Amino acid sequence: MLSEAEHQELNEILKKYPDKRSAVLPALYIAQRARNYLTDDDIRGVAEALDISVTEVQAIVGFYTLLRKDPTGKYIVQVCTDLPCALRGAEEFYRRLCQRLGLPPQGGTTDDGLFTVEAVVCLAACDKVPLAQINLKYYENLSDDRIDAILDGLRRDSEDA
Amino acid sequence: MTVTLTIDGRQATVPKGTLIVEAAKQVGIEIPVFCYHPKLEPVGMCRMCLVTVGTPLVNRATGQSQLDADGLPIIRWFPKPQTACTMSVSEGMVVITDSQEVAADRKAILEFLLTSHPLDCPVCDKGGECPLQDLTYRHGPGVSRFDYDSKHHSAKRYPLGDLIVLDRERCILCARCTRFQSEIAQDPVLAIENRGRDARIVSYSNPVFDSHYSGNTTDICPVGALTSRDFRFHARAWELTNIPSLCNHCGVGCNTVLSTRRGQIARIMPRQNETVNEVWICDKGRFGHHFNSSPYRLTMPLIRRDGELVEASWDDALQHVASRLTSIIEAHGSDSIGGIAGACLPNEDLYLFQKFLREVIGTHNVDHRVGLSATFEDDTVYAVGVGTGTDLGRVGRDTAFLVIGSDLDQEAPILYLRVAGAARHGATLITAGGRPTKLDKQSNHSLRYRYGTATHLLLGMIHVILEANLTGNETVPHRVNGLNELRANVADWAPERVAEITGVPPDEIRAAARAFGEAKNGIVLYGPEGLGWGNGTQGTSWEAGSPLRQAVANLVTLTGFIGRPNNGVIAVLPHANSRGAADLGVVPDRLPGYVPAERPGLNAQEMLGGGVRALLVAGADPLAGVTLADELEFLVVQELFLTQTAQQADVILPAAALAERDGTFTNLERWVQRFDPGLPVPGQARPDWTIIRQLAVLLGADWAYATVGGVLAEMAQAIPLYRGMSYEQLSQPVSLSRRMSHYIYAGMSFQAEMREGMQWPALAEDGSAKLELDWLDPPAPPAEGDGFTLVAPRVLYDGGTLLGQAEILGTRLVQPHIALSSADAAALGVLDGQGLQVSANGQSISLPARVDGLVPQGVVAIPRNLKGAPAESLLGEGRIFSRVKVVKG
Repeated sequence: MLSEAEHQELNEILKKYPDKRSAVLPALYIAQRARNYLTDDDIRGVAEALDISVTEVQAIVGFYTLLRKDPTGKYIVQVCTDLPCALRGAEEFYRRLCQRLGLPPQGGTTDDGLFTVEAVVCLAACDKVPLAQINLKYYENLSDDRIDAILDGLRRDSEDA
Repeated sequence: MTVTLTIDGRQATVPKGTLIVEAAKQVGIEIPVFCYHPKLEPVGMCRMCLVTVGTPLVNRATGQSQLDADGLPIIRWFPKPQTACTMSVSEGMVVITDSQEVAADRKAILEFLLTSHPLDCPVCDKGGECPLQDLTYRHGPGVSRFDYDSKHHSAKRYPLGDLIVLDRERCILCARCTRFQSEIAQDPVLAIENRGRDARIVSYSNPVFDSHYSGNTTDICPVGALTSRDFRFHARAWELTNIPSLCNHCGVGCNTVLSTRRGQIARIMPRQNETVNEVWICDKGRFGHHFNSSPYRLTMPLIRRDGELVEASWDDALQHVASRLTSIIEAHGSDSIGGIAGACLPNEDLYLFQKFLREVIGTHNVDHRVGLSATFEDDTVYAVGVGTGTDLGRVGRDTAFLVIGSDLDQEAPILYLRVAGAARHGATLITAGGRPTKLDKQSNHSLRYRYGTATHLLLGMIHVILEANLTGNETVPHRVNGLNELRANVADWAPERVAEITGVPPDEIRAAARAFGEAKNGIVLYGPEGLGWGNGTQGTSWEAGSPLRQAVANLVTLTGFIGRPNNGVIAVLPHANSRGAADLGVVPDRLPGYVPAERPGLNAQEMLGGGVRALLVAGADPLAGVTLADELEFLVVQELFLTQTAQQADVILPAAALAERDGTFTNLERWVQRFDPGLPVPGQARPDWTIIRQLAVLLGADWAYATVGGVLAEMAQAIPLYRGMSYEQLSQPVSLSRRMSHYIYAGMSFQAEMREGMQWPALAEDGSAKLELDWLDPPAPPAEGDGFTLVAPRVLYDGGTLLGQAEILGTRLVQPHIALSSADAAALGVLDGQGLQVSANGQSISLPARVDGLVPQGVVAIPRNLKGAPAESLLGEGRIFSRVKVVKG
C-alpha cells in the first residue's frame, strides 16, 4: 500500500491532471519505487486512490514491462541481446553472467534477492555493446571482469546500507 | 447532412459521420467484422474489415474535384487497405470490398487469427452460431500453413467468476467483452492484461467478474471464448427451439428468447428490441430461469381434508371452491369474499381476476399491493407517463433525467444501462437519493437527501423552476389548471428552507432544478426510496407516496415535459406486470383503465386483517410470515410453489409458469408485449386465467374465452387504454426496414423473431386534455432523535422463491445483513461481520453487520425480500422506512 508520504506525493501529481485516472502511470512508479515490484495491495491502493477499478490497473501493470508483479531484486540488471548486440557477443556475455550468478540461462533473481538479471530487446546503445542497464543507469563497453566489479560494488553498497 | 459515396459500384447516401461498415450495410453489402459492434465504440483491433478506400482528388485552389480525360473524378487511393469499422464516410468516397486484394487480406487476417485457435468447433458451444466459424468458411483459408506443434496453448477452462467460463485459446482479443463492460455496463471489471502472445482477458474484481450484465459478453463474443456456465456443453445451437418470450423478473420487460431442448430451458438470450432492452438482458433474467424445471413445482390440485393437503382432481377442487364460495356469499354476502393477485401475473389473468371478483362475485375487494407492491402504487404514469415512441436508447444531449429514490442497477438493470448510456451520450443526469447508487458515478448532479424528504426536495426544485420562469411555455398556459395555486403553495419552499429539511445544500438544489428546467426534454424516474414516511397519520405507505407522485407530476407538467416522446414519468415499479396491475384495476378503488370505482372495496391489508371470510390468492405470497386472520374461513391459492401462503390454504390450484403459456405484460414504459409458450406444463398445472375462467363458469357466468387472445380482444374493447391492441398485432414481426436498421451482424442468435409491443398513450398525449396541478402537502419529515432510520432497498439478487432455485446464482444471492456506515460501526464498536441487533415495533432481529461506505450516517439498510424476510418483519407490510434501535449483539 502507499505510505502517507507517497499519498501526499501522489496528491501533488494529481493536481496536474484534469482526470484522476490519467495519473495511473506516475502513481504506479511511486508504488513500485520502494521494492522494485508491485504487490496486489499496491495495485489496489493505486486503484482506490485514482477511483478506477483494480482490473484496469492490473491490466496496465501487465502491459508495461517496467511495471513488475513478481518479487524482483534490489538491482535489475538488463542486458540487450537483440540482433546488433548479439553480433557483438552480448548473448554469450549474458549467458556467462547468469552462470556466474548461479542463475538459469534465461536469467532470474539471485537467492540473496539482490540482483534480477534479464535479457531485453534494445537499450538504444548498439555501439557500446556489451552493455547493461542497472536500475535505469547505463554501464557500457562491458567485459566479464568489469560487470563483476560493478556488481561487487553494488553488493558492498547494499551491505553497508 | 448527408454524404454520398460509392461502395462496390453502388451509391449510398448516409448521414455524415457514418462508418463505412454501416454505410455498406445500408446498401446490402456485408463487410465481415469481429471486433466491431454497433453498440460499442469502434477500435479497429481485429483488422477483419479491411477494404480499399479512395477519395476524390481535390484541386486545392478551386476546391473542386479534379476530373480525368473522361470527365470522371480522379480517385486518390489510400496506399494501404483501411478498416471499415473506424473510418467514416466522406463525400465522393469510393470503397471496394469485393476485389481480389480485399479477399486476400481477409484470408490472411483469418489465417493469423487461426494460427493458435484450437479449432475445437465440434465441442464448442459457439459452434453453429460462431462468427469466426462463419467468416472462416466464407473468407478464410481451408488449411493452415502454420506448424501444428508450435501452436500457442493457454487455459481452456478459466473461470471468470461463477457464471462465465473463459477459453483463452479460442479468444481472438477483439475486446468486445472489455468494451461492453467499460462502456455499456459501466463495470470495468474485464481487461486485457499483458501484450503480444501473452495478452489475455482477466478480471481482478471481487467477486471475479462482478457485474449484473456479465452474460451479455457471451452473446457478443464472436468466438467461443466466453461461455456461460449455465449453457456450457448442454446443447448444440441447432438443436434448440427458440421461443420469443419476456423476462418476468422486473418491470423493464426485456424481450428474451427461450432456447428449449427436450422440454427444458437450455438458455435464455436477449431478443433484440431497440425500444426496450436493445440487445441486452441482465444476469438475473438470463440465469434465474431454473425455477421452471424445479422439482418443487406444484403439479396437482390439493384440497385440505382433516388438516392435511391431499391431491385431488381439477373437477373436485374447482367444484369444492365454487360451492364454498357460494355458501359463504349466501351466508355473508359478496363483500365477504376478496382476492389478491400478484403483479407478476400477465394482463389477461389480472383482467379476468378482477372481473371475476367484480362481476361474478360482486365485490371490489381486489388488490395486488402486497410485499414489494405494497410500497408504492402508481397512477401518475396514467396522466403524465413518458410519451409514446419514447426511446431511451436514442436520447442524448438535449434531454435531462431526474432519477429519484431508485437504485436502477439493482431494481431495473436494463433501465440502468439505458439511462447511463443516455448520460454517456450527453444527456443531463440528476440523481437524487438517500444514498449514492451506481448511477451517481454518471450523474451531473448528485443530490443526497435525508430519507423521507424526497418530496420536499422536489418542491424546492419546483420553486426554483417557477422562480426562474423555466416553465414549458408552449403547453402550460392553455393546458394546465392550477398554476397560480401551485405558485402560491411552493412559495414557502425556497431552497434554503428545503435544505434544512433535506440536507441538500440550496445551491445544489438550484443548479439541479435549472439543469432540469432548461433541458429541451425531461424524464423523471422515481422509485421506492423516494417515498414518504408512511406512518400513523398517513395510513398505508402508498398513500404516503401520494405527495411524491403529485410533486413528480407537477414537476413534469409545469416544465412542459409531457405528452411528447422522450418526456414524462417512469415509475420504477417492482414486478414484471406492476404496470398492468395498475392499468387493469387490480385495486379496490379503481376499475380497469383508471376509472374510479363507485364503491371501493377492501385493500389487501384490510382483507388479510380479517375483512373477508374467503380469500382467493393468485401468484402472490401475502401471508409470508403472517398468520391467518381468525375471520378467514376459506383460502384458495393459485401458485407455482408451496409458498407460505399456499401452506395455509384450503385449496391449492397449480399454475403454469410464464414459459409454459402465452399472454401479455405491460412494462414500465407502458409497452404491452406478448410472450409465447415454450415448455410443457408440469403435471396438471394450468394457466391462471383458465383456472379463473373455470371458476367463473362454475359460479354461473357465461365466460367463453377460449384463448388468451380472446381475453385481450375483450380488454381492447372494454378498456380505452388498450384500444386497438390485438394478439395478432403484438406478435407481428417488425418490418424489414426496421429490422435492417437495427440489424447487428454476428454474435447474436436471431432465430426468434423481433417484435415490438404496443404502447398505450398517456392522458397528456391527448392535446385537448386539461392537466391539473394539484397540491398535496409533503409528508412530515422524519423526526430526529435516538436510534437509526432503517431502509429496505431492493437488491437484484434477492432471496425470493424464484431466484432461490437458480443454483448458479447461489453465491451472488444477497445474504441477510445490516449495512451501516463506517462511522456508525465505529461508534457502535462493531466490525464487519459481527452481530448487530435491530429492534422496532416490538420485533428484534440479529444479523451480521456489513460496513458499507455508501450508507449514510444514521441509517441502517437491510435489503428487501431476503431469506427469512428480516427487513419486512421489522418494517411491517408495505413500509420502506422505520425508526429502529441498533445495538451490538
